[in-house]
Amino acid sequence: MSSSVIPRGQVDLVDFVDWSGVECLNQIGKNPIANALKQGYRDDDGLHLESDADEQLLIYIPFTQVVKLHSAVITGPEEEGPRTVKLFANKEHMGFSNVNDPPSDSFNISADNLKGKPVTLKYVKFQNVRSLTIFIEDNQGGGDVTKLQKISLYGTTVDTTNMKDLKKIEDH
Amino acid sequence: MATMICIDNSEWMRNGDYTPSRLQAQADAINLICGAKTQSNPENTVGLLTMAGKGVRVLVTPTSDLGKILACMHGLDIGGEMNLTAGIQVAQLALKHRQNKKQQQRIIVFAGSPINYDKKTLEAIGRKLKKSSVALDVVDFGESEDGKPEKLTALVAAVNNNDNSHIVPVPPGSNALSDVLISTPIFTGDGEGGSGFAAAAAAAAAGGMSGFDFGVDPNIDPELALALRISMEEERARQEAAAKKAAEDAAKGEKGTEQASSSNDATMTEADNTSAIATDDKRHNLTEDEAALLEQALAMSMDGGKAKSVDIADADMPEATAEDPELAYALQMSVQEGVKDSASESEMSKVLEDPSFVSSIINSDISSMATIDCF
Repeated sequence: MSSSVIPRGQVDLVDFVDWSGVECLNQIGKNPIANALKQGYRDDDGLHLESDADEQLLIYIPFTQVVKLHSAVITGPEEEGPRTVKLFANKEHMGFSNVNDPPSDSFNISADNLKGKPVTLKYVKFQNVRSLTIFIEDNQGGGDVTKLQKISLYGTTVDTTNMKDLKKIEDH
Repeated sequence: MATMICIDNSEWMRNGDYTPSRLQAQADAINLICGAKTQSNPENTVGLLTMAGKGVRVLVTPTSDLGKILACMHGLDIGGEMNLTAGIQVAQLALKHRQNKKQQQRIIVFAGSPINYDKKTLEAIGRKLKKSSVALDVVDFGESEDGKPEKLTALVAAVNNNDNSHIVPVPPGSNALSDVLISTPIFTGDGEGGSGFAAAAAAAAAGGMSGFDFGVDPNIDPELALALRISMEEERARQEAAAKKAAEDAAKGEKGTEQASSSNDATMTEADNTSAIATDDKRHNLTEDEAALLEQALAMSMDGGKAKSVDIADADMPEATAEDPELAYALQMSVQEGVKDSASESEMSKVLEDPSFVSSIINSDISSMATIDCF
């Protein structure tokens, strides 16, 4: 995996994910969310997250403490990788029926993003995040199946932010 | 696990090709399903809605209160056409608003009349359910025209995720709808130990048909057998008392029946007034084997008694007496009735004129009936 340019002062929030609460609607059983989110799995090219009944995915990620989100890396294959992404902070129990509510942030994934270029988020909207819901609305090719290789979230924790402790993210 | 059951209460449900009528067969099956779900896990919730009539109507949102669910089954109107897609969508919505968001979602549909929607529409609905992680069970009974089985199979296939959804076709015949369903994944699925209940229920239901009194209950579950037997005796005594009273008074309405059969202590005073329950009305609200027992009890009281009733009463009196002196008195009355003829009738009427005695019979019967309902 090529190195990502992570802004100084941010950490990979994978350590703060509350795994017992992670959920993903419309994922296919053999290719679940863990493949894209968990350390080790997300870097394994043989493992990916795949949608089931149609191309949409709704991913719910709670954190073990309150965090600030700075940027995200979302990678996937050229054709089936995600395109339109909407993020919702602190909205519990979302379903496909309320994905049209105003999101905290929304963006389109570009081909560069799919290869690892981080997307910078609207930082001001993510100052106090207990949980994040990611809605993948469609994919690059427009087909029925969306695949994600990796989802990485970068930011800082709110109460324990100690600038001296922050280390520069090494190359993965 | 949160379940919404969609009832077909369309015009087609008047048909008697499923005993005693399609609607009643559904009601019996639903009673059993509700009992099974709430018993296998106290956190399970079940809700009901009707798909025909004037439109899709939610009778009760998912709750673990079995009494509340069973009460809703009474007084269902038959009419109109079933709207399958609207029913499923409303069920999905009701599940979405369940109190415990961690519960798995399931919809059980009883489809007993023709379906107006095409296969594509149903498959789209199915995919929506799969997306939202809702499982679906379909009971395909009644008509089979217009490719109904294929449509329903396609619907279930679209929802199915790792064998969580099933379609159960039930052809008309002498087997009760509930008996057929007991051995299907609708009861045994979910992996929540529903199979244990299914075995006991199968034994109990088969009791009405097989040579044994209660199937093979004494071997599998002696406490259950004892409870069923005592309750049957109480029921028989009560039915005889009620039959006599019905001959004297005019029949009260359905509402009285409903309260007597499913209410708790709070409504005891109303139960007093409804002691004169018309046995015809009562029959609608009993399960099939209880109805068979009721016929038997009435036949016995009409004929003035046979040796059989005396034997059974004698055999059970010691146990019953230990529990309930008034019950013992009632049993005594029914035994005496088996021996004498018109003399016992006047005794019965005298006994019944004592409202406190009647109410205490009903009190004890209701608590045992409520127990039976939960099985």
